Amino acid sequence: MSIEEIIESGLLESYVLGIATPEETVMVQELCVKHPELIKEIELIEEALISYSSQTIKPLNNELKNSISNRLVFNEKSASKATIIPLNTPAPHVKLYQVGIAASLLLLITSTIYNFSLYKKVNQLSGQVAELNTTKSVLADQMNVQQASMQTLTYHFQFVANPKVKTIALSGMNSLVSQSAVVHWNPETEEVYFDANALPASPQSKQYQLWAIVDGKPVDAGMISLNNGATFQKMKLIAGAQAFAVTIENMGGSPTPTIDTMCLLGNV
Amino acid sequence: MYDNYSKALFGVINNIVNDQEESEDVLQNVFVKIWNNFPSYDEQKGRLYTWMLNIARNMAIDSTRSRHEKIKHKIQETTDSVYHKNNLFEQNSSHENIGLQNIINNLKEDQKQIIDLAYFQGYTQEEISQKLSLPLGTVKTKVRQAIIMLRELTKNEILQ
Repeated sequence: MSIEEIIESGLLESYVLGIATPEETVMVQELCVKHPELIKEIELIEEALISYSSQTIKPLNNELKNSISNRLVFNEKSASKATIIPLNTPAPHVKLYQVGIAASLLLLITSTIYNFSLYKKVNQLSGQVAELNTTKSVLADQMNVQQASMQTLTYHFQFVANPKVKTIALSGMNSLVSQSAVVHWNPETEEVYFDANALPASPQSKQYQLWAIVDGKPVDAGMISLNNGATFQKMKLIAGAQAFAVTIENMGGSPTPTIDTMCLLGNV
Repeated sequence: MYDNYSKALFGVINNIVNDQEESEDVLQNVFVKIWNNFPSYDEQKGRLYTWMLNIARNMAIDSTRSRHEKIKHKIQETTDSVYHKNNLFEQNSSHENIGLQNIINNLKEDQKQIIDLAYFQGYTQEEISQKLSLPLGTVKTKVRQAIIMLRELTKNEILQ
């Protein structure tokens, strides 16, 4: 059958009207697959019928539509056959895109603020570290000084505590009346220590010099240096001394004592 | 769907039921049924409109039966419905249906009858051929001629 023959036969009209036999219906379906132009013809028939029966006697009541849609909503709950696809949902990717940008910006701002505060904190802390390092080295220096002074004191104490060591008190005279000093002497080891105690500083360009009196003759026992606040000082080795004396001499000392300037004297 | 098909289906229902209020009830039920049975609609078995048309026709016919009207109404007095139709269109001739009036007037009596039987009453081709004492082939041809006329008339109607 040609397309014209099919159309002429009135088969399509019966098909649309729903009065075709099941065999004819199947046939029309198959023909439509083979000749898609038949669908156009079917649509025209349908349009004519719809238009014809749409010319109703009275216009339809508007409430009817609402009433139907209410019943459909009700039925939908009980039947729950249909899948509901919301039509008004905006395309989700647009929303995601916007949310993404907003989130990124927020993250960037937060991160910048946080980084800035961290930067400030790091600066502050490194300043503190430098400060602490300085304090630490100062303390270490002080510690070394203390340790050295402690060693000296310990040695001084041990030396003085030795029962073999003799302690000779030197009394002031002439310029140093009412002053005093102490000499610690170990006759066995011949070691001599001078304790300047509260001795005033020597006059300008002068220096105190310690003498030992051995067999009635003065022997040089070394120059006394009162620098750096040190009061306890190791002197030269002396054997067989009967007395110790201090004179004021020119800087560097003198080979023989100037009797006029003797300011301290004490017998063993 | 309601906007596209409600008028056409209502026209079919009202032609069978002949009562505005009852036709509205039937139309409601038809749409509920269409909604609930929509998953079972198979495009392979026919046009969507044909499917809905069958539901509307069957429910309208059921409605008239349950109303204890003449059970053989559709088989007996076809002229009845044609008469009703004419009456109703005459009643409304003052309204907006002048175009439709033209269509009706332009349809030949036998074309009008065959369209009513096939479209509104849902008669099968065989029933029509028995009813009108026509051979099956002639029924098909006449249906086609009637619809061609409808197409022409509705086309003109739209153009106007």
